[in-house]
Amino acid sequence: MGRFKLITKAISIGRVTEKYPFVPLEVPEGFRGKPVIDPEKCIGCTACSNACPPQALQVYDDLERGVRVVHLFIGRCIFCARCQDVCPTEAIKLTKEFELATLSDEDLHQIVELQMVRCEECGKPFDTFRHLLYTAKELQPWEREMMFLCPECKAKKVSEKLIFGKGGGYV
Amino acid sequence: MFEKSLWVFHLNSGSCNGCDIEVLNIFTPRQDVERLGIKLVGSPRHADAIAFTGPVTRECLPKVIEAFKAVPEPKIVLAIGSCACGGGIWYDTYAVIGGVKELYKILKEEYGIEPPTTIYIPGCPPKPEAMIYAVGIARGLVKQKQKKEIYIEELDEKTKDMIEILFEEARGTRHFLPQIIVKTSEESKNES
Repeated sequence: MGRFKLITKAISIGRVTEKYPFVPLEVPEGFRGKPVIDPEKCIGCTACSNACPPQALQVYDDLERGVRVVHLFIGRCIFCARCQDVCPTEAIKLTKEFELATLSDEDLHQIVELQMVRCEECGKPFDTFRHLLYTAKELQPWEREMMFLCPECKAKKVSEKLIFGKGGGYV
Repeated sequence: MFEKSLWVFHLNSGSCNGCDIEVLNIFTPRQDVERLGIKLVGSPRHADAIAFTGPVTRECLPKVIEAFKAVPEPKIVLAIGSCACGGGIWYDTYAVIGGVKELYKILKEEYGIEPPTTIYIPGCPPKPEAMIYAVGIARGLVKQKQKKEIYIEELDEKTKDMIEILFEEARGTRHFLPQIIVKTSEESKNES
């Protein structure tokens, strides 16, 4: 290719450089950017933390304060969107935001704290109110009587019921 | 922070090459970053900033520390990719240190070096524009958007009403069992 041809081609194509930091940029459809938890929709079911490959999303219980903490650390996220696929209430979604650079490590955290139900028998927190109500809707109405018992107390109660039958019995 | 041109020494500290290719991408005509005065240099002694890509493996830790010490003060560290920011998918494996934060702990304990200004660029790999944005923060061209978010749920009356509605539905059915009362044999004799 001669020099003249090269120059004419360069002129016909024109300028390709983006003016990015001074002009906002549009990202393509389906771009996987910053994951955001919608705190109003989240029920604390721990499905996302099970699906997350690098454990950027961790769910743990604070038993002293009686809250379940959904902790998202974007610094470790690999943007695979598995949490979005697995979420039953579509609370977590990947936005198109990609300008995530920060000067501090602390700014990359998102924390959602959900209130937990205390067991009627032993007083130990075992599940969030939202998750309990979400599952209670799926249950048959007559199965809701043991809703506020933790799994251990529930097992005890069921075995009592099996032994003593309907309406209680005598030893 | 840096008003003039930023010269960057790019160091692969155990990365998978994804971030390295994205770093090379920002020097192509499309994102041409040399218009902002940024340049890759061959030696850490010529650099203002050092760019880490990777979770700092144990094998390359001595070389990373050597290169880190060679960069003259004042310096900026660019932690590119989720591996450098927080360890990424290898954050708890035995072969890696786990990001620049762990590296700073080692530097402070062993050599007494204070951590320099660090810019964290999450992404796997980060978009080339995300890196330009990070450099924009270092140069003071753009403002930081990302902030820490904390939400604490407060129980309202809506949930309590919901619970009552669910229990009322349950009581309405004929299958609902009354509470079990366990009595010992002596108590039952007294009653009868």
